[in-house]
Amino acid sequence: MATLAPSTPHVLHLSLVVGGALLDDAGERVGRVDDLIVRLEGEEYPPVSGVVATVAGRQVFVPWASIAEIAEGRVMLREERIDLQHFRRRAGEVLLRKDVLDRQLINIDGARLVRANEIELVRLDGWYRVVGVDVSFRGLVRRLLPHAFAERIAAGEFLDWASIEPFTGHVPTVRLRVPHPKLARLHPAQLADLVEAASHREGEEIIEAVRTDPELEADLFEELEDKHQLEFVEDRSDAEIAQLLGRMEVDDAADLVLQLPEERREDVVALLSPVQARRVRTLLGYDPATAGGLMSPEFVCLHAEATREEALERVQQSKVHADGVSWVFALTARGRLQGGVPLADLLRAEPGTHLVEVVRSVQRVSPDADLEEVARLMTDFDLTVVPVVDAGETLLGIVTVDDVLELVLPESWRRRFNILGGG
Amino acid sequence: MTRFIGRLGLRNQASIRMLAVFGVLGPGLVAANAGNDAGGVATYASVGAKYGYDLLWMMVLITVSLVVVQEMAARMGAVTGKGLAELIREHYGPRWSILSTVSVLLANLGICISEFVGISAAIGLAHVPAQVSVPVAAVVIWLLVVRGTYKIAQRVFIAMTIPFFAYPLAAILAHPDWSAVGKAVVVPHIQFNSPYLLLFVATAGTTITPFMQLYLQSAVVERGLGPEDIPAERAEVVSASIFANLIACFIIIATGATLYVHGERTVSSAADAARALAPLAGRFAEALFAVGLLGASLLAAAILPVTAAYVIAETFGFEKGISRRPREAPVFVAVITVLIGISAAVAMIPGVPVIKLLVLVQVVNGALLPVTLFFVWRLARNRELMGSYRNGPVFDLLAGATVAATSALSLVLLVVTLTGNA
Repeated sequence: MATLAPSTPHVLHLSLVVGGALLDDAGERVGRVDDLIVRLEGEEYPPVSGVVATVAGRQVFVPWASIAEIAEGRVMLREERIDLQHFRRRAGEVLLRKDVLDRQLINIDGARLVRANEIELVRLDGWYRVVGVDVSFRGLVRRLLPHAFAERIAAGEFLDWASIEPFTGHVPTVRLRVPHPKLARLHPAQLADLVEAASHREGEEIIEAVRTDPELEADLFEELEDKHQLEFVEDRSDAEIAQLLGRMEVDDAADLVLQLPEERREDVVALLSPVQARRVRTLLGYDPATAGGLMSPEFVCLHAEATREEALERVQQSKVHADGVSWVFALTARGRLQGGVPLADLLRAEPGTHLVEVVRSVQRVSPDADLEEVARLMTDFDLTVVPVVDAGETLLGIVTVDDVLELVLPESWRRRFNILGGG
Repeated sequence: MTRFIGRLGLRNQASIRMLAVFGVLGPGLVAANAGNDAGGVATYASVGAKYGYDLLWMMVLITVSLVVVQEMAARMGAVTGKGLAELIREHYGPRWSILSTVSVLLANLGICISEFVGISAAIGLAHVPAQVSVPVAAVVIWLLVVRGTYKIAQRVFIAMTIPFFAYPLAAILAHPDWSAVGKAVVVPHIQFNSPYLLLFVATAGTTITPFMQLYLQSAVVERGLGPEDIPAERAEVVSASIFANLIACFIIIATGATLYVHGERTVSSAADAARALAPLAGRFAEALFAVGLLGASLLAAAILPVTAAYVIAETFGFEKGISRRPREAPVFVAVITVLIGISAAVAMIPGVPVIKLLVLVQVVNGALLPVTLFFVWRLARNRELMGSYRNGPVFDLLAGATVAATSALSLVLLVVTLTGNA
């Protein structure tokens, strides 16, 4: 939790401002304050740009220029008369009470969803700005009490708005893609957790925001649970799905293809680049519960006579992800798997060393090996990577520990209280 | 290509989803079946024993109301992806939301107590004292819910309610006067005396209970059903509601054709209600009834605390689905534990005034139902929230009438019980 510096001015609670009186410059009541308007884009602490009020039974818009003061229980106008425009939402405008208060927000610092019990405002450089969100019990209690008591509950600690990202998908005028720049601070796995925890629309909003960075989007999809993957791609065109797949690890891409309805699979795969399409098809040919289905066809292998430098260069140039290059594999003259060298060993070896001098024999499995066999092998031999070979000892792919761990983790460890869903 | 497609066809998510919707265990069926719980069976048996088929016409109306209400809850879950408590908080603010949360908590606690009473009554037919059966049941339910083999448990509990199918058979074997039954279904039959009206209202109240809407909507959300699943989910909800209420009708017919005909007009124990199964099961009637009552009570006793925990999590914004271990979701587990603990403890007290408790439960439920139904109705017709999935004009009229009628009945019950006319 972040608090502003001690010297900060008085903290205004949104819930005490709305419902208060709209007063003219002489302090005469002219109406009731319904809501405060902000625009969320751009500024770190969004300023209030206007007030929605009910005057003589009509909902009107009061522009910031006409407002002298915002305080608990009242909003004071500069002039006696104001031009009463009928209130209509304009593009990009967000109503603090209607659209943000009591709703779910993303707390970027904790990478979790929180509910806004109170929205805190402070007058900073001439503007009333949204500075934070209270998610504490104290904030909720204040909301429950009558105003006279509520005002006596002091402001507690609250989350700094700088680490808050609200959902705006439900705001009719902000329907289009909203950039949520703060989301970029999160790890793809955290983003995936948020997507899974949020409602479908909110999850959609996170993914839409992340789509501006296609690489990040692909990483997010790699982390999403299978059942959620389809949820967020089924409305996309084949070409869009193919674009996404093209950026994902091949084994994760193949898993996603499997989630698609049968009639779409081939159409989507056909739109991949020839190399990717071939790899995905190869993986799809295997039963997903076996080593063949788990493996990634992306790895680094060289002839056993190659030197340390050649091997390191290949690692540098390859786009294989970090787990996949933790071992470099050596092939015999006939292209069979001879063994492997941990990347760390290779780095420590003398310059000019040939792979054959440092190569170790490695445990291997056939594509038909089941999950249990692969997991046991990894446990018994402390492996993070297991090569998969065919009957002729040709290296087909590698299974990395992350793919296995995901599957052997008991269901109940991964997700608790998912019980309302039933069978 | 055909190779991988053919082989992996079963992993097709869409077909799995359809299976889940049409399968044995749709959320609608769980909700509706949990409605035929201890309190429900007791009420239906009383209705049949006391008034024969006189109240059957009402079951038609109640079924229509249940379908209307449950359909709205399921549709809202699918469209918004949010639970009912969450929507109430977002649209009506914390005061209403806490009011309904607290009453849900109280009502669920009350019903949960009655489930444990049902459990002890069911096992009691085998002469096992409540002081043994109730703690064991409580521990089993807690472990299933918190330690997470709940999915299997749910199947087992549902399967255990299968003996209730015995009621249609028992009803047929009791050779009721079918023309009288048919007439009772079609022709409304009202007596203006307070016991009759009270039983009328109690039947409506036990068939349409707030936790059923809360559970259903949260379960639809939890399953990740979206707008495209609405037709399938609607079919599931409608058929499950009709199915569960048909069973209820047959309980009334079976008791009406046996107990009522033989002049045994009051059902005061589980053994009484079991006797209605005698035409079918003879001396096994008690055992059959016990298994069914046990299954229904266990199912509801497991669902109620979980629903309460979800409602609290949704209202206050505590961690829920995202939680992985009990210590990461302490409030969630605490609510479940406290509810099960208190319910079991109360049900175990020797000579506990069960009837008074059940009356109290009905009062709380009666007060809560109009609130819940009103919110369900208002939210389901909200254009901004539901868009093109909001209530259509005709349906909305029906829904409004249902809410008004059910609320009026609940308030009648509330007044009657509070003024002591019961």
